[in-house]
Parts: sequence; structure tokens; C-alpha cells
Amino acid sequence: MTISELLQKSITPKYCWKYFLKNELEDILLGEDIQNHLAQCEAVCLFCATLGQQADELIRRAQVKDISEGFTADTLASNFIEEFCDKAEKEIISHFPGKYFTWRFSPGYGDMPLSVQGKFLSKLNAEKRIGVHVHESGLLIPLKSVTAVIGISEKPLPVKKKGCAICQLAESCTYRKKGEHCN
Amino acid sequence: MNAELTETLKQKFLLLDGGMGTMLQNSGLAAGGVPEMLNFTEPEKIIAIHRAYVQAGAQVIYTNTFGANRLKMASTHHSVRQIIQAAIANAKKAEPEYIALDIGPIGQLLEPSGTLKFEEAYSIFQEQIEAGKDADMIIFETMTDLREVRAGVLAAKEHSDKPIFVTMSMEENGRTFTGCEIPAMALTLEGLGVDAIGVNCSLGPEELVPIVKQLCEWTTLPVIVKPNAGLPDPLTNAYDFDAEKFAKCSEIFAEMGAVIFGGCCGTTPEHIQALSKMLSGRKPVQRKITIPAAVCSANKTVILNQPRIIGERINPTGKKRFKQALMEKDRNYILQQAIQQIEAGADILDVNVGLPEIDETEMMKDTVQSLQSITDTPLQLDSTKPEALEAGLRVYNGKPIVNSVNGEEESLNLILPLVKKYGAAVVGLTLDKNGIPKTAEGRVNIAERILEKALSFGIRREDVYIDCLTLTASAEQEGVMQTLNALHEVKTKLGLKTVLGVSNISFGLPNRELVNRNFLAMALSFGLDLPIINPNVESMTAAVRTYKLLANIDRNAVEFISHYGGEPKENISPEKQEISLSAAISSGLKTEAGNLTKLLLQTKEPMQIVNQELIPALDEAGVKFEQGKIFLPQLISSASAAQSAFEEIKNYLCEHNTEAVNKGMIILATVKGDIHDIGKNIVKILLENYGYQVIDLGKDVAFEEVVNATEKYHAPLVGLSALMTTTLPSMEKTIQLLRKNCPWCKTVVGGAVLTADYARQIGADFYAKDAKETVDIAKRIFNN
Repeated sequence: MTISELLQKSITPKYCWKYFLKNELEDILLGEDIQNHLAQCEAVCLFCATLGQQADELIRRAQVKDISEGFTADTLASNFIEEFCDKAEKEIISHFPGKYFTWRFSPGYGDMPLSVQGKFLSKLNAEKRIGVHVHESGLLIPLKSVTAVIGISEKPLPVKKKGCAICQLAESCTYRKKGEHCN
Repeated sequence: MNAELTETLKQKFLLLDGGMGTMLQNSGLAAGGVPEMLNFTEPEKIIAIHRAYVQAGAQVIYTNTFGANRLKMASTHHSVRQIIQAAIANAKKAEPEYIALDIGPIGQLLEPSGTLKFEEAYSIFQEQIEAGKDADMIIFETMTDLREVRAGVLAAKEHSDKPIFVTMSMEENGRTFTGCEIPAMALTLEGLGVDAIGVNCSLGPEELVPIVKQLCEWTTLPVIVKPNAGLPDPLTNAYDFDAEKFAKCSEIFAEMGAVIFGGCCGTTPEHIQALSKMLSGRKPVQRKITIPAAVCSANKTVILNQPRIIGERINPTGKKRFKQALMEKDRNYILQQAIQQIEAGADILDVNVGLPEIDETEMMKDTVQSLQSITDTPLQLDSTKPEALEAGLRVYNGKPIVNSVNGEEESLNLILPLVKKYGAAVVGLTLDKNGIPKTAEGRVNIAERILEKALSFGIRREDVYIDCLTLTASAEQEGVMQTLNALHEVKTKLGLKTVLGVSNISFGLPNRELVNRNFLAMALSFGLDLPIINPNVESMTAAVRTYKLLANIDRNAVEFISHYGGEPKENISPEKQEISLSAAISSGLKTEAGNLTKLLLQTKEPMQIVNQELIPALDEAGVKFEQGKIFLPQLISSASAAQSAFEEIKNYLCEHNTEAVNKGMIILATVKGDIHDIGKNIVKILLENYGYQVIDLGKDVAFEEVVNATEKYHAPLVGLSALMTTTLPSMEKTIQLLRKNCPWCKTVVGGAVLTADYARQIGADFYAKDAKETVDIAKRIFNN
């Protein structure tokens, strides 16, 4: 079995979400970047997705067996969680026909602090519903987990690019140093 | 109370209360605060909720203390003791038959997924249990991690004599979020001496049907069912089962034999009243079940209904390389032995880390925890020291095997209480103070004595496995059949499972593999359940697979064909290859790199190979990486191939009692608060490939631990890694402490969010943008 097959077989991705009016989330939507991002939205969905602890175990095991297998497993798992978030996002927005949405914005992007993760998860009751915890350092556990905000608007939204400005790797990015972009 | 309750549960149902959160919301108490604080701020409302449940027929009231542990209560400025005592006082006012001290999950994950230590979890629970001593029973609920439950149950057992109930939250696949499955939960918790087990929350009664059915088949304990009122609506989060439907759907659990009922999220006093009505005309169903002989980890149960292979390779006896790994605390090497055996077909792994030069107790604990962080294969803890066995048993997540006791009174009295306390199975060796009886009869007699003693300690018959002991055929040829005859008697007359170390049979003979394989086949025919073998020897695992085929255990030869039915495996022998070691490393060919190194070692000195082959090949890969001609995956592949070459060199040096390659000592750690460690692990492999001795402290490493290790080894270089901005202050703090305590050492830092500027700011000597650059820095520091 390839690492990819093994990963797909052993993980049980899950997500949960909840609808809020923007003013219900004053202690979560912190920072100028998220405020700009949601400027034309009245409401948002918070959501959280995870590949679960089995993915972490598989990556740990692969690393011990062979570091290049570990690296592959880690990279694949990161890719899986992103794909899973795309799928979850589609399902979530299907509950709001006729509305317009922003792209997913996560704590840690731009100046939205990681310190909101605890409150974010408790708003969703994510610990109980999908087993996602937050470490005191703001890290989500299981490691392959994502929290994100989707803005909802009654009116069409201008298309915004996910630029380098809000990327947390902006300073150390090797693409940027060469004057290139990652997407 | 325990005995009284157990008797009651044979005759009568026990009714628990329903949801607390739902009722708080219904009473207009806003969500978002700390619910446990309501014990002080709104006692009347809490008492009213308890009372409503008592009036509805609930006999057991859960205190409003789900999250009342010191981590979650830290922000309240109230002690755990104050909160729990207030909650019990409120429950008392409602005058229920029983008050249950309610304990939910801690809210932080235990190692290895999280960073909370087992002992810390134990201490958190202990505080709650001691504060709640006025309750009539202790309930752990909504649990998803068996490790955490075990810490709680041990704390309860050791600090209270109240009945202990445990309910876990299962997903529709019959597992918790952490992967814990029903049979493992049941085997482990019944083994630990819990009084009732079951499920709560996460699902409604309909989804719980197959889960409760399975639980009823895996435990003799009273079964608890406390479902949600159906499933929540995704938009409103409202639950959709009214009281009648809830009770109606719960009927089937009574028919299955569950005896303790209640409700979780979305349930109200009406739901409990409806349950009470549903149960009123019924009598508990007496379940007649036998739990099979089985061992487990949290995520995997191995039933001993057919021969199961115990892998013997985690053992230093006669293995120089393994001894070296133990002395150097080289965890990775030990874990690799585990993975290799599992992939070769081991069902259970024997773990023996006894070596006079090391602290076996500490090593046993560490090894069990490390193994369980990468595999769910159940373990057999193998030691002659009771304290080492207990250290392993305490942290083992599941139901292990203890190897071993023998027929001597002292051994039985020392080890069997541990087996009972931690709910393990045990291997009994048929020998006593007079040695190993010559005859089968003598060995069976000892087996009987071991069994009787085990039963007298309350250990189940199914959990006693007998080892009739293999003698070497070269020295005691007449003894071979005595072993097999004894095994057969133990199996058929005593009805016990049998275990046997096989390889000893051929000691002193030529063609050992042939002798071992045939003896194994004979023993299997005589009824051997648990052969202890080296599963990496293909002919041995093949003998077990073939036996299963011929004995009609492997129905339709499914397992056999899946192993041997496909295309013959491609077998490239190193002789045929026309590739050099450096080419194998550049191309990332792991197996070839290992084989070629073996060949080279016949003609070249190990250091020559390192300096003339390994390092130039890695340097070349490094340069190509820097030039952008190859990318990280290729660089890592090369490192991985070089690692397997290096492992051959280490083996060779061990066998020839030559000093290990050591170009300098480097400490590595992922800083406190951070648990992303893949980057650090890549750096480690690359440094090791260059011949540096790396002490890997792991992830989430405390500041002092880095300092202590640096002092202990007087390491000239310390590498620190961090992935997140929030853990950079930890890095800075570690560097400050190193400056103060270890002024001789240099620091190199790396990680996704670091930059050269930032590295300077926090006082690091060097910034390495990748693994390759770390090697360059090490070369400069060590002048090599």
C-alpha cells in the first residue's frame, strides 16, 4: 500500500461549523486584516476541520521508519486537509442559497492572532464534536486541523486575491525572495 | 456500597439523569460562561434542575462538575475543592438516591498526540476525586481517549473506594475520536476493575444500537447507555427526539442487556420520565457471555482464537547493536525494530529492555510510551523486575501480557497482584525452585499451580497463558517431546492458552532455521497459540501462515493467497547491481545503499566509507539542492538512503567492538510549546549521516531539559526548532538560559517562521534556513 492509500484508509476527516452574526464574534474577529476581509459581510460561518489523531500517528510512524516516507506522509496529509476543507466549504455554503461568500480566512493569517483559537473552538464546541483541541501555544491538535472564517454577504463581493500581505510565511518565503509567487 | 450496587444491578435498572447544558439554556442561563461557576452564582437554578430530574425518576444525579479540573477552572479564582463541594451540596438538596461525582475530559490531550503527561493527568483527576469524596460514586463521562480514562480510573482506585462508572463517546464507526474501539475499551476497563461501563453523548439512540450491542458482547459489567436526544440540526443545533421517541428507541438497549439508562445532550426531565416508564414493567436481561482470551491496545484487539505471532526482537540479549541503542537511548532504533516486525507479520511485540548498565524501570516506561505512539500492535512486557513491569503496566494503554511468573511462591506473590491490578494477561513458566521438571507431567503440575494461584487473585482463567519451556535439542534431545506433550496437556486438560519461545530448540546445531521451522510446525500441531519468534525470518512466519491454512483457520486461504499468491517478489541481489554507493545515495535508493555498504565493509574501513563515499554523495546532493537542481523531497530521499548505509556501518562497528563514529556532539530540540517536529527530524538524520552524534530531546522540550542535556554532554552545539510565531518566545528563553548556564555552547535555530534577522534578535549564534545549512554550520563549529 502506498503512503497515500494508507493515509486515506486510516483517517476519518471531520468538520463542524456554525453560523453567527458578525457582532456576536467581537472577541474572535480580531485584527485589521480579518475586519477588512469581512467589511462587506453581515454574517459569517466559523468552521473547523481535522484529519484526526490517526493522521498524526501515521506521520510519526512513517518518520521513524524512513524520513522520506515521513516527509511524504506529512505533505500528503497537509494536502488532504486542504482538499477536505474545500469540500466542507462547498457543503456549508450550500446551506445559504443566493448569498455571496469570501474565501476562508484562518487565525494566524495577517494580523489575526492565534490566541483566538481557544474561543474559536469553544464557539463551535469543536472539542466535543470533532475532537479538536488547542494547545496553550495556540497550536491545534490533531496537527492536521484547520479553523477558518467564511464571510457571508447579501451582495456580490469584489474578488480579492489571497496575496502575500496576509501570509504568515511572507517574511521567510523562498518564492518571494526570488521575486516569485506560490500561486 | 460497591457490593450492594452490584447486587442491585442484577435485579433492577438504574436510572441516571439527563442533560445539564440543555436545561441551563432552558433556564435562561447564557452559554459561554463557566457552567461550574453556576454552583455558586445560581445555586437555586442548579438545584431546581437536579430536583426536576429526581422527580422524573432519576436515581443518580450527576454533580455540575463536568469541567471542574484545575486547568479549566484556572480562570475562575475558585479552587477545584470549593467548586466540587458546592456542586455536591447542591445535588444533595435535591435528595437523590445517589450522587455521582461527574468528571469530564481534562480538555488537554495527553502525550503523544498532545503534551499532557500521564502523571499530570493522574494528578488532575486525583484532586477532583479527593474533593468529591462525599459523592456516592465517580463517573467519568464523554471520554474519547483511553489513556486519559486509565489515568482517571487509576487515580480513583488509589484514592477512593467508591464505585467507578465510565462512559465513552463513540462515533458511528464504533470508535472514539482517538480511535479507541469498543472491545479494547471493555477489556481494558473491566481489567482495571471499573464497576460499570457504557457510552454517552455524540450519538442518538438509533445510531448507538450496533455500538451497545457490541459492548454487551465484550463485557460482563453492567452496561450504561446515556445517548443524546437524536442528532443535532446543522443550522440550529437543536436535537430532534422528543421524550416518547427517545424512550421507545431505548427499549432495544434493555433487550440487549443494558441496565443503566440516562440521557445526554438535548434530553430533559421528560425524556427521563419516559425512560422510567419504559423500564417500569421490565426486568434486566441476564446476559450469558464469555469474553474470549484477548489482548489489546486502545485501537486494536487481538483475539487468541488462532495462533498469533509474538515478535521477539525488542530484546538486547545477544545483540550488540540493540545494547548500544539502549545505552544511547536511541529510541528510533528500538522503534524501527518494532515496525520491521509488524510489517513482517507480528501480532504482538515482546518488549525486553533489561540491561545492567541502564535504569530498566525508566527505560521500560519510556519504551512502552514510545512504541504506543507509533503502533497499535499490543505489547508483551518482559522483565524479571517487578518494578520495571509495573512501570510499563501503569502507562500501557490497553490490556498487555506480562512475561512472566513461574511456579515459585515468591514470583507468584510478587507479580500476580500487578497482573490483577492493571488487568493484564500473564505468561506462566513451568519451572520452580527445583528447576524445569524433566517430564511433561511435572510441568503440567506447575501450570496447574500457577493457574490456581492466579484464580485466587481474581485473574480470569482466559488470561493465564502457559509456557512449557523449550530445551535445546542438542543438549536434551529426549526433552523435546516432553515440552510438546506438556503443551498439549495444558491446552486440552487445563484449557489454557499456550506460549512458547521457539528459537532455543536449535541452539548448538547447524542449520538452525530448519530446526526452528520444523519445531514450530510441530508445536502448532500440538496446540501452540502464541509462538515467540523472529518474524523477520520469512520461513518462520510462513510456517505459521501455512499451519493456519492447513488447520482450516485461514478459511478459503485468504491470508495465505494474499501473501504468496501474487507475482513473485522481485529479488535484486547486490552482486548484480552495477551502481556505486554514492549513486545509490544520490538516487535515494535505500535498500541498495544498505546492501552496497555491507559489500564495501568487506574490503574497506568504515571511516573510509563514511569519508570517501557517504559524505561526498551527500555534499553533492546538498550543492544541487542549493542550486535548485534538486528539491527537498530528493534531498530527503538521499538522506534516507545514506541513513540505511550508516546503519550498516553502525552494525559493523558494534559487531567488531569498535568505537562509534563521532564527529561531534549536537543537541536538538523542538522548543517548548511546539509539537511540529518533522523539520527537526530531517535535520537530525542529515547530521547523523555526516557522522555527528545527535542527542534528540524531542518536541515540546522544557527549557531546563535543553540546559541539562547540554551540560551533561558538554555539547558544543545546540539546534533549536520552532514552527509557530507563538513559540518563538520559548526559543528566546531557551537561548537565554543556555547563555547563562552553558556559555561554551553555540546555538543554531531554524523553522518556518524564523528569519536571519529574528534569529539575531533572540540571541542565536546561527540561523539555518534548511537542513543542509545546519550541516554547514556544524562543519564550521567542529572544524571537520
